[in-house]
Amino acid sequence: MPTITSTAQAVPEVQSTREEGQAVNTTGALPVWKGYQKIAFRIAFIFFVAISIPNNAEWYQHVFSIDWTRLHYRDLYDIARFGSGINFFGNTLFGSPLYGYANWIITLLVAIAGGLLWTFIDSRRQQPTQAYNNLYYWLRVIVRYRAGIGIIGFGFTKLLPVQMPFPSLGLLNTNFGDFSAQKIYWLIIGIVPWYQVFAGIVEVAAGTLLFFRKTTTLGAALLVGALGDIVYVNFAYDGGVHVYSSYFVLLGAFLLVQDIPKLYSLLIQRRLTVPVYYFPIFKQWLQYTRIALKAGVIILFLGVLYYLQLVNYWYDPYKQPSTAGVRTLRGNYRVTEFRINNQVLPYNPLDSVRWQQVTFEKWTSLTYRVNRATFIDLSNGGGDPMRDINRTFELTGTGGGQRVFHYYADTIDHVLYLQDKYKPVPDRRNRVAGVGGDQNYRLNNGLAEDKKNAAKKDSAEQPFIPASAWAHIGDENHMIDKRVWTARRDREFATQPKNEKRKKMLLHYETTDGSHVVLNGIDENKDSIHIVLDRIDRPYKITKSTLDAGKY
Amino acid sequence: MTRTTYPLRLIFIFFLIQTVPLDWKFYRDLFSVNWFHYSGIFQLAHYLPRFGAVSRFADWGIFLLVAAVGALIWTYLEKKKDHPISNDALYYWLRVLLRYRLAIALLAYGLIKFFPLQSPYPSISNLNTPYGDFNEWKLFSLSLGIVPGYETFLGLVEILAAVLLLNRRTVSIGAFIVLLFTGNVFMSNLAYGGGEAVYSFFLVLIALFLFAHDLPRLVNLLALGRPTAPDTYKPVFAQPWLKFGRLALKTFVWIFFVGLYGAQVYAAAHHDPYQYPGTAGLAKASGIYNVREFRINNQVLPYSDTDSIRWQDVVFEKWATISIRSRRPVVLDSTNTDNIHTEDQDRTFELEGVAARHYYSYQADTAHHLLTLQNRNKHHREEQWVLHYERPNDSTIVLSGANQRNDSVYVVLDRIHKKYLLEEVANKGRSRSIKL
Repeated sequence: MPTITSTAQAVPEVQSTREEGQAVNTTGALPVWKGYQKIAFRIAFIFFVAISIPNNAEWYQHVFSIDWTRLHYRDLYDIARFGSGINFFGNTLFGSPLYGYANWIITLLVAIAGGLLWTFIDSRRQQPTQAYNNLYYWLRVIVRYRAGIGIIGFGFTKLLPVQMPFPSLGLLNTNFGDFSAQKIYWLIIGIVPWYQVFAGIVEVAAGTLLFFRKTTTLGAALLVGALGDIVYVNFAYDGGVHVYSSYFVLLGAFLLVQDIPKLYSLLIQRRLTVPVYYFPIFKQWLQYTRIALKAGVIILFLGVLYYLQLVNYWYDPYKQPSTAGVRTLRGNYRVTEFRINNQVLPYNPLDSVRWQQVTFEKWTSLTYRVNRATFIDLSNGGGDPMRDINRTFELTGTGGGQRVFHYYADTIDHVLYLQDKYKPVPDRRNRVAGVGGDQNYRLNNGLAEDKKNAAKKDSAEQPFIPASAWAHIGDENHMIDKRVWTARRDREFATQPKNEKRKKMLLHYETTDGSHVVLNGIDENKDSIHIVLDRIDRPYKITKSTLDAGKY
Repeated sequence: MTRTTYPLRLIFIFFLIQTVPLDWKFYRDLFSVNWFHYSGIFQLAHYLPRFGAVSRFADWGIFLLVAAVGALIWTYLEKKKDHPISNDALYYWLRVLLRYRLAIALLAYGLIKFFPLQSPYPSISNLNTPYGDFNEWKLFSLSLGIVPGYETFLGLVEILAAVLLLNRRTVSIGAFIVLLFTGNVFMSNLAYGGGEAVYSFFLVLIALFLFAHDLPRLVNLLALGRPTAPDTYKPVFAQPWLKFGRLALKTFVWIFFVGLYGAQVYAAAHHDPYQYPGTAGLAKASGIYNVREFRINNQVLPYSDTDSIRWQDVVFEKWATISIRSRRPVVLDSTNTDNIHTEDQDRTFELEGVAARHYYSYQADTAHHLLTLQNRNKHHREEQWVLHYERPNDSTIVLSGANQRNDSVYVVLDRIHKKYLLEEVANKGRSRSIKL
């Protein structure tokens, strides 16, 4: 047996040496700031404060109009998710938004100017301040809380899996190639709610770790790792949230800056490393204030938000309609007979009029497929709409001739009042998020040129649903569980919807138990249609999860 | 010099029997490996001993038991020795072994992602299959396949982690990346029903063990903010042959798993991607076709969405595969492990985890215009067709012939000029709605 040392052994023994480590900063004294460090710090200070503060008036309006007695999860979510950075000079550089990053560059330029001005003023002062350690400490506090609250707001929609909904029947029936890449990414997470929970736990944990000084490094490392991946995902799949996810990578990276020299010294250089942390000594009342503020943030964003998100998951998952559909009308249907203006159209996959593959979702939607080009909403179907008709995840990014109609059901006279869920001018979403919204789909940002088209009102609009029918349909606002009747919902239902130029259908339905349904009425082109549907058993290879959002 | 402790001996044996191949099957594979094809090195790097046909977590119970008993015997033998092995040395060598084991595994996977081979772009058949007809694992792979740039990025992360592991001073950083990355791979395997849950968790376990080395130091420094002494253990290679041996081994790993394997994978990305068959299909035929006319045993079947016999549409892939959509049920090929095959017949990615269509490989006799079809699914092996083809124009194919049961068909196919939203949006962006 070969040996290395002179002693006979079974396993080659390697002689070891133990070196005495070179100590770094053994004195434990606070470091003295060098000139260039001060300048860099002044720039960083202005930059990070600017990107940690909301920059749009709508956010402040929102926060001051919150009804704290009847909260909606989105109230807190919107507090956590805001646009930031210096935007007095607009959000484009040489006319280009630079994929949304122009705001960062503008903010940096302003910060550089401010930092130099600060340096100049400091140089003229008799006794320039030396309180950089103190200022650095507070800057880190701001960034820690900004990043922590932001990522927790984001993470809870995954922890209670509603951000990526499980695909509806209509989506399950759509061919893989008929989705946009963005949609495919949302769906791949949507089919595995437990994995979404795991992703949510990682994000919420990262945020929570940032609230505590001792766990900040771990939290920041998790944040950079997890959100770094999400940045890449957003670029690859055209997800539209790349700036907001990069934002967290930037904040996380800033928090790691302090630790990198220490890690380099300990792991790479293998030296004895003495960390020096500055921590301000608080007077007693300040100490109490600090504890109260910290406890307040934790209770609000971990406790209250958890509850709000939980009831949202149970009763009002925000990306899918929350009202239950007609109970007898549920499932996949074959179009057994299709008559238009009394003319029978036999089944033909190429027919551009005849409906195929009808579904009644468990909520208030009827979908069908027809072999004809149709307009496709390419947004991510997110945002905060309260009305079922505006919750569009089941149609966004989905082609293949898939049509989705929302219905109000008069279950006494057996009439469905259907409206196309696609509308040419969508509502503005993610108002307070600024650049944090889905920025790749510009129609949601309410750009001026798109608004021009919106001004036209529905021409000679007859009241689509008569008052007598409304009496049978009921009040949509209160069709869901009482626990999710919120001030925000009331407010939206009290305002008339805008830009409601939609295709409409009015269909009378006959059925006994839902297995055989006859529809009669007027379609979107005012043609009379007669359709016989038979429910089919359509097994899927995707298995339904044990986590199922909403009550239907 | 401290003697080895019982827990370390146990851990040592536990990892040793899973890292050093004791399994005779490994050596069978070693000698049958095709060194000129990347499948060989991938297969070796993917080694994990197991008792059944697939790896199970229950296997670890047995390994643990063997390790517990082995460590006991070791303890007994050690007591009699004058010169026992030191704890430091054993620990050091175990870390070396595991660092290299983990790095090799990451390189094997990292390179087939870096040159995006592992998850290819969906086939025409897969693009024309309803979402709900795939199982989760297949969807996971296809969803990665539509974004090769992202797949390359993921490969790069794995390669970076491997390089950090091969360097003694950056092991903890590499191990931390593995914990995040491969930890997520493990979770994905659980969530999507992948077949590599045990293997990926084995890698996570190695990373945990490696990271545990510096963990107390990191907690002390970063969380508790206390002065922290570094790891000062440094192996001394006193004898020249040991120095050279070390250098030779290191060089071997770099040349073999980075150089040779990397070159093979690079070449394969251009000439021999492994998920789809390599044989070219009928010239200028690839696309999806509507079945305009369908006769079986001379009886015409009109369009129907209930009939289980009539074909609904037919896809000709670029390679020699035809898929036929009909309502005849498919028994799923639910393969969910990673294998690189060299033979076309074994490259079944296109039909794994997906129903709705039947997949056939074909041999084309272009002189006599004959296609010999063989159902590719292992559950439908008996099905064969011999079809005569005519191509009256560019967009029409007429097939006529019979299957193994002598059912005759006559089929007229019209090419569908299908535009995929996936590709339209990829080209035009999604800043505004489009009509399709």
